[in-house]
Amino acid sequence: MKLKKYLSFTRIGMMESLQFRLATVVIVIGNLLYLTIVFFLWKAIYASSGTDVVNGMTFSDTLIYLVLATALFNFMEMYTVWEMGRSIQSGKIVLDLLKPMDYRKLLFWSYSGSFVMNFFTTFLPTFIIVGIVTGGAIPLKLNLLYFVISVVLAIMINYSIDFIVGTICLFTESIWGINIMKQVIVLLLSGATIPIAFFPEPMKTIVLYMPFQSIYNAPLTLLLDGSPDMEDVLMILGTQLFWCVTMTVISKLFWKASLRQITVNGG
Amino acid sequence: MSKVIEIKNVTKEFKVLNRREGLKGSLKDLFSRDYKIVRAVDDISMDIGQGEIVGYLGPNGAGKSTTIKMMTGVLEPTSGEILVNGNSPYKNRSRNAQEIGVVFGQRSQLWWALPLVESFKLLKDIYQISDKQYDGIMELYSSLVDIEPLLHKPVRQMSLGQRTLSDILAAFLHDPKIVFLDEPTIGLDVAMKAKIRTLIHALNKERNTTVILTTHDMGDVDALCRRIVIIDKGKMLYDNDIEHLKGFFGSYRTLKIRLDGDMKTNAETVQKELPQFSVDSDDEWISVLVDEDKEKVIDVLAGLQKKHNIRDMKLEEISTEEVIKKIYEEGVE
Repeated sequence: MKLKKYLSFTRIGMMESLQFRLATVVIVIGNLLYLTIVFFLWKAIYASSGTDVVNGMTFSDTLIYLVLATALFNFMEMYTVWEMGRSIQSGKIVLDLLKPMDYRKLLFWSYSGSFVMNFFTTFLPTFIIVGIVTGGAIPLKLNLLYFVISVVLAIMINYSIDFIVGTICLFTESIWGINIMKQVIVLLLSGATIPIAFFPEPMKTIVLYMPFQSIYNAPLTLLLDGSPDMEDVLMILGTQLFWCVTMTVISKLFWKASLRQITVNGG
Repeated sequence: MSKVIEIKNVTKEFKVLNRREGLKGSLKDLFSRDYKIVRAVDDISMDIGQGEIVGYLGPNGAGKSTTIKMMTGVLEPTSGEILVNGNSPYKNRSRNAQEIGVVFGQRSQLWWALPLVESFKLLKDIYQISDKQYDGIMELYSSLVDIEPLLHKPVRQMSLGQRTLSDILAAFLHDPKIVFLDEPTIGLDVAMKAKIRTLIHALNKERNTTVILTTHDMGDVDALCRRIVIIDKGKMLYDNDIEHLKGFFGSYRTLKIRLDGDMKTNAETVQKELPQFSVDSDDEWISVLVDEDKEKVIDVLAGLQKKHNIRDMKLEEISTEEVIKKIYEEGVE
């Protein structure tokens, strides 16, 4: 059965990430440090602005948004580019190419296990803590369902972008610079480091037409709005679906073309 | 015997950027379009039958890996045709993958952090091996090697020998028609080498799997292969029985000795004393290529000991490099 093949990857991925318990602890500590900086930075921004509401968001709105964005980042970030780059450099990729499976799927499903684990070890605890600390600032209604759908789409978009960047490594054979560039672009333009509401007007428009905001901004918007217009929800999910399909097709075609190039000219 | 691999006049060329020297040269290279064509494999043809063990030999950079990558479908030949089980491997890579197994001695396909049995279970699902088939092969494995303690050991805690053994078992798991073994005994001690050779031999017998073995170790070849293919600089030098090659080479062994005094003058005197053998020297050793059909190594050594003060000695089997050198110098047929 086809599905069993993939779920088997999920299972082994979960087991693998359980092997590295200490890594989870380190990630949590790193997050706390990062969030402390975020807290004081935005506190200063709000203090200097003189008003309680900046760009339609209060201080606690912004903070909840950024904390959840960080948690989302920890669970969605797959380091695909690293993994691809490393296996290209070491030549391990040959072994993966020799499996009777599409490489793009193989890599995705190898990671699916750590998604599941990270969801429980980082995202869910953060979500619950934020919920308790803010005393119900996160609405618990139908928005949770929209959020889940949205996150699934976001994961697929994120993966496709990563995969495209990873494919570039086939040509450059270096990873570090490309990966850092990708990370900065994605985190900035997706609204993971600064809420998109804070972007200047022309840039906001441009960003909303790009695929990146579908990764962090879209699911968080859906999560934090307790009573959204159905029209808005469909609009956001529709945009995500559009990008999901587009990026998947692009990444597949690019991979196919690149692989051909490599097999013709040698890696 | 049916053919599983057919290679017809295959050539593979790579485009390589001409690199310039120095920082300035490196900067220029950024914009350079100056490529040269390197022919890694040059007009190779061979047929390999079901159940054969073929030793595929050649010095580093001879084009062995390139040929293997073409047979597995990772690389596409520039010209010529390759058929594996009647299919073109690079056009149907996934289908071809179901029929082949691969072991690279230098890297592992197993999941590093997990016990071996988990890797096996995953491979079972990837290759869609039925429970019955899986149980059958595990039974075979436990009759061949002591697999039980390995199964529950995380791969990263294994010794190199255990890991190689596990990798070979993993490659045979889905009962492929062909298994490619790329330097499987590299870096292993003598006992482990013997164990691995026995295992490969048994699996080949038991499953009638075709095995293509690349190695630098003539011991592997001696123990496993009936047929040998030698390539150098992309060209095929030899494709025939190992017996034929052995007959040609007689029973050559390299005697290495270390003497007091200057290397070069010593080497020259030794050559004068033993005009029937070729004598070489490097920084540490004087090597004498002894044909044991003419004179036993032990007699040569005894003769030398009378005239020189031998500080150290060792004996080596003839290496692939020496075989190739001799083929070039003297021809085979």
